[in-house]
Amino acid sequence: MGPPAKKDVELDPPEAELCAHMKAYLDGEIEAFDALYAAFAGRLRGYLLSRCRDAALADDLLQDTFMQIHRSRRTYQPGRPVTPWVYAIARHVYLMKRRSAGRRARFEETLAADMRSSDGLRDALETIADGDAVRRALRGVPADQRQALLMHHVEGWSFVEIAARLGIRVNAAKTRAFRGVKKMREQLKG
Amino acid sequence: MTPDVPPSLRNAIKRDLRPTRPLRSPSVRALVLIPLAVAIVLAVPGLHVFRSDMGAIGFVKAWGYSFGQALAGLVIVAVALRESIPGRGLSHGAIAATIAVGLAIPAALLTLTASTFDIGPEPGGALAEGAACFRVSAISAVPALIAAAILAGRAFPVRPAIAGALYGLGCGLIADAGLRLYCEYTVPQHVLLAHGGAILGAMVVGAVVAKVVARRQA
Repeated sequence: MGPPAKKDVELDPPEAELCAHMKAYLDGEIEAFDALYAAFAGRLRGYLLSRCRDAALADDLLQDTFMQIHRSRRTYQPGRPVTPWVYAIARHVYLMKRRSAGRRARFEETLAADMRSSDGLRDALETIADGDAVRRALRGVPADQRQALLMHHVEGWSFVEIAARLGIRVNAAKTRAFRGVKKMREQLKG
Repeated sequence: MTPDVPPSLRNAIKRDLRPTRPLRSPSVRALVLIPLAVAIVLAVPGLHVFRSDMGAIGFVKAWGYSFGQALAGLVIVAVALRESIPGRGLSHGAIAATIAVGLAIPAALLTLTASTFDIGPEPGGALAEGAACFRVSAISAVPALIAAAILAGRAFPVRPAIAGALYGLGCGLIADAGLRLYCEYTVPQHVLLAHGGAILGAMVVGAVVAKVVARRQA
């Protein structure tokens, strides 16, 4: 059942070098991360681009992949090849993105259908589309929450990207955007 | 030319970077469940009642086979923990073979243990007896399922439903290893529906739990 013992895994020289970088990365060396990025970024971007066929999206997915690699780094088993581990994570990141994009598209389709079939909702849409009202409501949202809200809901950034850009944790980015939306709703109602 | 790390990504990584101990190998991590598996096998008949023909079937066929089945369950949990590590997922054939072997083990042990296949509940009591066996097995599997879900969740299952179904199967086998020391019925409908159903139920619960855990971690 079990895998071959890690000492039995024979690695070719480039893979052994990656292994050494990965071990240093687990020890907390940022230079090792730089080396891993240099080794994988080009190949991974090509792989992701071949899957999604969108250069901008491939760049986003590449960043998400390295963030996920960072979060999952303890699942790497020293002595085992790094490449399959990295590609499995990249593939997972791509599939998750595709799944969430599909869900978002279905949701927007449903929402659009509902909007078309409901006068009340159409009125609500017109209200929301009222630029002044939205701007006023946005002004009432605290600056940090407004920034996260706009980056996620308007510009379409992922929370991972927002966290990286603002230098905060992913959960903090989610919380800010969520509170921003809540605050904005209150402003629009009030 | 080698690509440079985007500064925002590098800063985010650097801020969070500290020495990290890698997870132990899946088989070593599965060993954590041994005391729990032993406790479940002992507790199911111990807290209820031992089957009345324990003496007749002998020590090996009673205890030996039960602990053998629990060991098989642990091996399947180890396979699930391996599946939970990126890049070490099983092939479809290996998954199918693991599930097939896992489901065949209790059937094989029943065949080796039972002398006839007509020992069943009293007429009219089949449903109640079946429900009792299902309930005992399902409840017994819960502690092992929780422990296995925690172990798998500490890794990063990229196919959580498969990992969950596998550790659910393993935990179902461990619970059934205790159940076979408690229930002496051999009629196929009872064994398939109550005992087999509980193992399949543990598989389904495992898959659902793993999906939920993965979604919460995302």
